[in-house]
Amino acid sequence: MGFYSDSNYKVRKDLDKVHENQFKNLGEPGSWGSGAQRIAIASQVREACYEKGIQERPGHSSNHDDTILPDVAKSLINKLSTSPKDFLQDSYTEAIDGGLTNEEYVEIVGIVSRVTDMDIFARGIGVELRPLPEPKDGLPARDRPLEAKQELAWVPTIPSHPEGGKLAEDLFGTGHKAYIMRALSLVPNENRMHMELENIQYLPVKNILIADYQHHDGLSRAQSEVVAGRISAFNECFF
Amino acid sequence: MDIGVPGGRELLDFSDALVGDDRKTLDAARIALANSIGEETIAGAAAVAANFTKNDRIANGCGIPTEPMVLKATKEIRAELNLNGFRSAINSSRHFPDDM
Repeated sequence: MGFYSDSNYKVRKDLDKVHENQFKNLGEPGSWGSGAQRIAIASQVREACYEKGIQERPGHSSNHDDTILPDVAKSLINKLSTSPKDFLQDSYTEAIDGGLTNEEYVEIVGIVSRVTDMDIFARGIGVELRPLPEPKDGLPARDRPLEAKQELAWVPTIPSHPEGGKLAEDLFGTGHKAYIMRALSLVPNENRMHMELENIQYLPVKNILIADYQHHDGLSRAQSEVVAGRISAFNECFF
Repeated sequence: MDIGVPGGRELLDFSDALVGDDRKTLDAARIALANSIGEETIAGAAAVAANFTKNDRIANGCGIPTEPMVLKATKEIRAELNLNGFRSAINSSRHFPDDM
């Protein structure tokens, strides 16, 4: 049975599997957060979206210990979940001055972005939000990549290959890569998860320059770009 | 409004409703899109929309700039659509003011 087998609309099998695995991943210990903290982040995303009326509360409950997150993390999650267009450098500075490290910050941004993504997909196809997994025990890996350095984003990033070394090649491939492909690379696993969704939901990145490449049934590249552009305009995303 | 793409109006309405706060409008937009270009397009349109809600949060959350090559190539259309007015444009203009 598929992850979205209750959908009235056909969901491609590879996307179904990727989302199922991404949900499982949320409950596992991450690079800087425990499984319980990561599920608390995902739950906080949902609470913020229910509060704003941009998601519907599902029939199942997703209880979490909201005391596990500091107020500075909740504030970051609430703002980025519900109003990305208002998220400016002072929001980042507030989070760092409030005690989050850059590594913790990037992991939170990654989780907020992935949960928002998969929840909006569920809303789009008209199914309830998927239940969040039970958190798994274990310690975060705390594996800061030595290759990461301060480039032009607020947060450190791994430079494109060859400067970023073997890890850059593993994460992004060779040659110069745009910041959107490297933005979360301070936490390599979050960058991998982001790009996994990118490849399955938008199109395989290797095909991005093929103007008429069609990835989804019945939806031309031009039609996909109408949707992509409209969403990014709504979120006032300049990139 | 005809934007020159089959189902264009319905795709725009579906995108707007998907990030909006009215579930009935979304349900109606989904049906209208299915009637316009086929129900097999719903999951794909939802996937693309959802993907860009992710990218927008990553981009604005990490303060990443747009590459100079892209800035140079999009100068006219950005001016036409007033994209430089987006607040997140500062993440690019602070590094590449001459390309804005």
